[in-house]
Amino acid sequence: MTDFLKKILFIDLIKGLSLTLKYNLSKSFTIRYPDEEKWLPYQRFRGLHTLNKDAQGRELCVACELCAKACPTKCITVVPMEDNNGIGIADRIAKIYEINLVRCMFCGFCEDACPTTAIRMGREYELACFSLDCAKADKQRLLAPQEIPVEFEGGYVIKARLERTKEGIRVRPDLTKKKRWW
Amino acid sequence: MATVKINGKEITVEDGTLILDAARQAGFEIPTFCYQARLSRLGSCRMCIIEIGGQKKLQPSCVTPVMHGMEVFTENETVKSARASMLEFLLANHPLDCPTCDKGGECELQDFVFKSGPRRSPFSESKRRFHDKDKILSPVIIKNHNRCIHCERCVRICDEVVGRTALGSIGRGAKIMETSFMDSTLDCDHCGNCIEVCPVGSWMSLPYRYKARTWDLKEIDTVCPYCATGCQFTIGARNNEIVRVKSKITTGINKETLCARGRFGYNFIQSEKRLKKPLLKKNGKLVESSWDEAISFIKQRFGAGKKTAGIASARHTNEELFVFQKLIRDVFKTNNIDLDSRFANKWVTSSAIEVLNLAAGGISIFDALKAEVIFVIGSAISNENPITDYLIRQTAVDRRKTLILAHPRRFKLNSSANISLRYKPGTEGEVIKGITDFIEKGVFHGNVVGDISQVGEKFKNAKNITMFLGADILRLDNGTNVVAEIVALKGLLKKAGKNIIIQPLFDRCNQRGARAMGIHPLFLPGLKKVKENGMDCGEILDAAKKGEIDSLYILGEDIVSMYPDAKFAKDALSNIKFKVVQDTFLTETAKTADVVIPGASYAEKDGTFTNQEGRVQRLRKVISPVGNSKDDLDILCSIGGFAYKSAKEVFDDIKKEVLGYKDINFDALDGNGALVKGHGAENQGSRVKGQGASEIASASPRNDTSSNPYLDEYPFLLITGNHLFHSGRLSQNDDVLIKLLAEPFVEISEEDAKELGLTDKENVKVKSSEYEAVLKLRVVKGSQKGVAFMPENFDSVSVNQFYKKGQGIARVKIEKQV
Repeated sequence: MTDFLKKILFIDLIKGLSLTLKYNLSKSFTIRYPDEEKWLPYQRFRGLHTLNKDAQGRELCVACELCAKACPTKCITVVPMEDNNGIGIADRIAKIYEINLVRCMFCGFCEDACPTTAIRMGREYELACFSLDCAKADKQRLLAPQEIPVEFEGGYVIKARLERTKEGIRVRPDLTKKKRWW
Repeated sequence: MATVKINGKEITVEDGTLILDAARQAGFEIPTFCYQARLSRLGSCRMCIIEIGGQKKLQPSCVTPVMHGMEVFTENETVKSARASMLEFLLANHPLDCPTCDKGGECELQDFVFKSGPRRSPFSESKRRFHDKDKILSPVIIKNHNRCIHCERCVRICDEVVGRTALGSIGRGAKIMETSFMDSTLDCDHCGNCIEVCPVGSWMSLPYRYKARTWDLKEIDTVCPYCATGCQFTIGARNNEIVRVKSKITTGINKETLCARGRFGYNFIQSEKRLKKPLLKKNGKLVESSWDEAISFIKQRFGAGKKTAGIASARHTNEELFVFQKLIRDVFKTNNIDLDSRFANKWVTSSAIEVLNLAAGGISIFDALKAEVIFVIGSAISNENPITDYLIRQTAVDRRKTLILAHPRRFKLNSSANISLRYKPGTEGEVIKGITDFIEKGVFHGNVVGDISQVGEKFKNAKNITMFLGADILRLDNGTNVVAEIVALKGLLKKAGKNIIIQPLFDRCNQRGARAMGIHPLFLPGLKKVKENGMDCGEILDAAKKGEIDSLYILGEDIVSMYPDAKFAKDALSNIKFKVVQDTFLTETAKTADVVIPGASYAEKDGTFTNQEGRVQRLRKVISPVGNSKDDLDILCSIGGFAYKSAKEVFDDIKKEVLGYKDINFDALDGNGALVKGHGAENQGSRVKGQGASEIASASPRNDTSSNPYLDEYPFLLITGNHLFHSGRLSQNDDVLIKLLAEPFVEISEEDAKELGLTDKENVKVKSSEYEAVLKLRVVKGSQKGVAFMPENFDSVSVNQFYKKGQGIARVKIEKQV
C-alpha cells in the first residue's frame, strides 16, 4: 500500500532531486584550479624539498649525505666542501646539492635522516614543466624560500591567478584570501 | 703449547700467545682500539677486557698471554656491560659531530658503539673541548683534538714504524692531546700513517677533506706507481675523480703503512698539465692532431733496422713493456732497446742482473729480513724505498740482528743502524773489497769512514746474511767493478757455508719486471741472451750524435732531464730525424719530439708490476683515461699491428716466453701478489760479464780521487736521487706533493758547512764546469765530507745539467751567495 502511494506521489524522485537541488543551492565544491583557486596543503604535506637556514641565516645543511644514503631512489646528489666564511653552521657545506625530481617519490626519508633538520619537504607541488631542466632541483632552488611560508597553516583553498610568461605558466596564490574547502 | 677454553670452545695455541689472538683464532671478535698488530702493546683503551675463570677482575686481553688450562669468557654479561661502560666513558668526551667528520662511516668507535655500546648516557657535563676549528698541522694533515680517544696508535706508529718520533702526548688524563711538539706545524715525513691508524676522525687527510663520504667511493685495490717496494693500496674514486688513497691492514707487504708519495701523490692524474691529445710537429711547432693521423704518421715515418731504437721507462706495466720490446724487436727489427737513461751502461746493468740473480725466482722481503745481518749499500733507503725502510726498522729492533748501512749520506734509518759506513760515491767497490779483505786476511785498505773490521766480524759470525743493493750502483761507470767485488764477497761467504740473499732496491716500480720483459740491449724476454747485442741508452745517444740513428721511440722516459749531461742529450736528440714520445706530460724530451702521444697514468690501465722482490702484483683500472688520451697498450698495439685486446691476453703470451711467470694466474692475483719463479736462464749473466769486462775497462776510467787542480776547484762530488716526497720527474706535476717540497736544495755535511762558513737554509751558489744555480742549503750532521746531494725531481734546476758526459760523478763547488 505504502509502496503504491510512494510510487504515485514520486516520493523517491523528490528525495533524489531534493539532494540535487540542495547542492545546487549550497556553496560549490569545485576548486577552480588553476585559473582562480588552488589547494593549499597541510603542513605535513610532502612536496618539493626545501633547504632551511637557521635564525642567523646560516645554512643548516652540513653535507653529511645521510639524505642521499637514505634515499630509496638514489635521487639526491650531495658533494661537500670546506667553507670558513660562516655560510653554514659548521665548516662543511654542500658544494652541490641536487635532487632529481623525476626519480623522487616524495617518501620523506631524507627528512627523517637529516641530523640538522636542513632538508624538509615543502608544500610546492606544481612541478610540471616543458623541459627536463626543471626536473633537477639544485641547491639554489632548494634554498630559495617557497611561496607558502612554513608557518602558514594549510588545509585551505586560496585565491590564485594563472600567469603565462615566457618561461611557462604558473599559479600565483594570494594568501590573504583563503577559505575552508568544506 | 697451551690449551685454553674460550667461551666453552677449546683451542690449543703456542705459549705466550695473547688471549686476544687466541680468541680471534677461535673465531670470537673482541673490539680493540689501542691494539695494532705491528705496534708495541699498550693496553690503555680497556676495550678488549675479558673475564678469566677464577679471577675477580677483568683483564685486558691484548697484553695478557694465555696459560694452560685457562678459561676465558669474552661474551658474557659482565664483559658486555664492562665493554659498554668503556664506550660510555669514551663518549662522555667524544663529540657527536659524525655528520661532518670525514671518518664517519668507517669509524671504529662508531662501529663498536653501534654493536656493543650503551644506548643512553647519564653524563650531563659539557664535553671536553680543545678548540673550535680543526688544526692544519701540515700541507696534508689536519687534526681535531676533540675527537681523540687516546689510543696512541699515531704516536707509536710514528715512533716505531716510521721512525720520526714527530708525535707525542701533551697533558694528562682526559685532557691528553696526541700531537706534534708544542702542538706546532709538523716537520715530518708527511706519510699520513697517523691518519691511517687513527680509529676515529682525529687525524684526517687534508687533500681528502670534505670530498666525499666513505660509502660514495668506488674503491679498487691497486699498486703504487712510485718506488719498487710495490705497496698495495686502495684508490677511492668518486664520479671518475680520484679523491683518496688508503692502505689496508690486510694486504700487501706494506699492510697499513704508506709513504707521502704513495698516500698523497695521486693528484698528478687529474693535473691540468696532462697531455690530452696527440701532438704532431708541423713547421717546428707541436700542434694537436687526431689519433688516426698520429698513428699513420708514425707507421709511415718510423724506420726499421739498426738505425732505429727504443727507450722505455720502468713505470710501465709488464704487459706494455713486453709489447714495446715486441714492437722494437719484431716490427722495427732492432735490438737497440733500453730502460731509463739514468744507468751507466749495459754491462753494468747486465752484471747487476747477474749478481742480483734476477733470472732466479723472487725472494720475499720477509724471508730476506730473517737474516741476522742486514747490509744495505748504495741506496738512501729512507728516501728511495720508504716502506722497505719501515720493514727494516722494525726488524732491526731485534737486538740479535745487526743492521749495517753504507751510504755517503746520513738518513733516517741510520738512527736504527748498528753500524754506519760512509764513503765517497764511486768507491762502493772499495767498501765491499774492504769487507772481503778483512774476512779473508784480517786487514783492509781504503778510505771508508766507519768500522769495517766490526762489519767483517759481524759477517764472520752470522749464519744468514742479506745484502740490499741500491740503484746507485747501477749509475756508476765503474759499476761492474762493484759488482765484481760483491761476487767475490758472495763467493767467499758461500764458501764459509753462509746463506746469502742479495736483494735489489730499485727506485722505479717495475724495474725488475722490465728487465724480465726483455727491455735490455742484451736480453730477450725471460733474460735469454740476444744473438746480436743492441745499443744501450748511452750508446744510442752517442750514435745519434754521429747521425747513425734515424728513428727513436721513447716510452715515458724523459731523457733530456735525466741523462747525466743535459746538453749532450739535447744535441744528440736533435740529430735524430724522427722521434716519437709517448708520455703523460709534455716533458722536456717530449718538446723535442716529432710526434707526442698521450698515454695513461697508473690509475687508468690494467696490468701487472713486478716489484724488487720479484712479486707480481695487479694494477687495476680505476678511472677512464683523461681527455682524449689512451691506454698505452692500445697505442702500442695499434702501431705494431698486434691483436691483443686486453692486458690479460698479453700476460698469457708473457707466460709462454718468460718462464718465471708461467704459474701466475692473472685473474687470481690478490693483495699479496705472487712471487716469480726462475726463468731457467740463470747462467746467461756470467757469459755477459765475460764479454763486458774488457770493454768496460777501456770505456770507463775510475773516479780519480787524487789531488789535481780541477778537483781542488770543485771539491764536492755531486750525487743525486729521489727526495722522500718525490719520484723522478712525475711527482713535480702533483700539486699536493709539490706543496711538501717545492724546490730543489743542495745538501752537504756539517763539517763542510763549517769549513765554508755556511749555515742551514741559506742560499748558496752551486757551480760545476757546466752549469751553476742558486739553491737552498741543507746541512746534515754525519754525512760524508766532500759530498753534495741534490734531488733529481725538479725541472726548475735540473740536476743533470751539472754533469758532463765521460766525467762520471759530477764535481761542484759551493759558495756563499753574495
